[in-house]
Amino acid sequence: MANHTTVDYKAEKGGYYKVLVGLLLLTALTFIQPSMFLTDITFGIQMLIGTVKAWIILMYYMHLKGEKLIGWTVVFAVFIVVFFFTIVIIDVSNFQYADVSHITSPAK
Amino acid sequence: MAHDSHDSHEYVPEIAVDRNGKEHVVQGWQGDFDGAKLGFWLFMLTEVLMFGAMFMTLTYYFTLHHADFIHASSELDRTLGGINTVVLLFSALTMGLGLLKMRSGDVKGAKLMIWATILLALVFLGVKALEWTNDYNEGIFLGLETMQAGGGKSFGEILFFGMYFTMTGLHGFHIIIGIGLMLWLLKRINSKKVSPEHHILHFNIALYWDLVHLIWVFVFPYFYMTGAGAIHG
Repeated sequence: MANHTTVDYKAEKGGYYKVLVGLLLLTALTFIQPSMFLTDITFGIQMLIGTVKAWIILMYYMHLKGEKLIGWTVVFAVFIVVFFFTIVIIDVSNFQYADVSHITSPAK
Repeated sequence: MAHDSHDSHEYVPEIAVDRNGKEHVVQGWQGDFDGAKLGFWLFMLTEVLMFGAMFMTLTYYFTLHHADFIHASSELDRTLGGINTVVLLFSALTMGLGLLKMRSGDVKGAKLMIWATILLALVFLGVKALEWTNDYNEGIFLGLETMQAGGGKSFGEILFFGMYFTMTGLHGFHIIIGIGLMLWLLKRINSKKVSPEHHILHFNIALYWDLVHLIWVFVFPYFYMTGAGAIHG
């Protein structure tokens, strides 16, 4: 069935512009953070800002707000990525093969 | 399944009759809004997993070669990267507004917004080309002598730039695919195969464009901003 839901053009357009302003502010924050605050943990802060931006895009631009089935499917996919990320981080934090590895020094 | 001798993609309702003699419209892909949307989301999740694996590789190398990655990141042009971030942000807005106009029946306005998105996508590619040209002139590009072992850059820096060109290149390829999809969408709107009543194709291409934007939301800080502190102290 085609999507025949009623469109409140003015309200939805306003929503798009509000999201734009929010994303622009977060982008500005991305630029000023490395020289302004929490400079010791720049990478973590940058990823945090990126995650907030991603959440806003997913919810409002990609219309995930109120989408239960697709929402949980996305959560599952992101969980898989985060799960393997965690394993990788644990693994690389205890890297034992620097002497024979081709990814820690030029191949001998 | 609906069949048509003139065009297999044209939406032609097919009627099925249940055991009680009641008629039902069989849904074609253009009519099954929710099914088409779910299917496209599943495709996009495979993209998330692909880029996720690349980010994982990047993280692995970043952990092993922390100082080299930060130094290499500080060599990238944050101004051009930042301009592209803002360009993509506005392109996501024009794409969203185009879909909104289509849903509200303003087909001409929707087409205008799609053209605006294509223009912004071309600006993105132009800025990226300029940036890569500058990198090349500074001796930073895949295959150059300076990017080989013993060419002046540390092993970690070579890994960083290898990942940088691979990931921004793959992202740029997605931008080119997006431009192709938008041109195809315009063609289907012109032939009235996409309309305010049947706009799932427009909806899914807008989703694709948002995904391209979403990937850049992480690509940009990962490559360009992690080394920003190296300059500012």
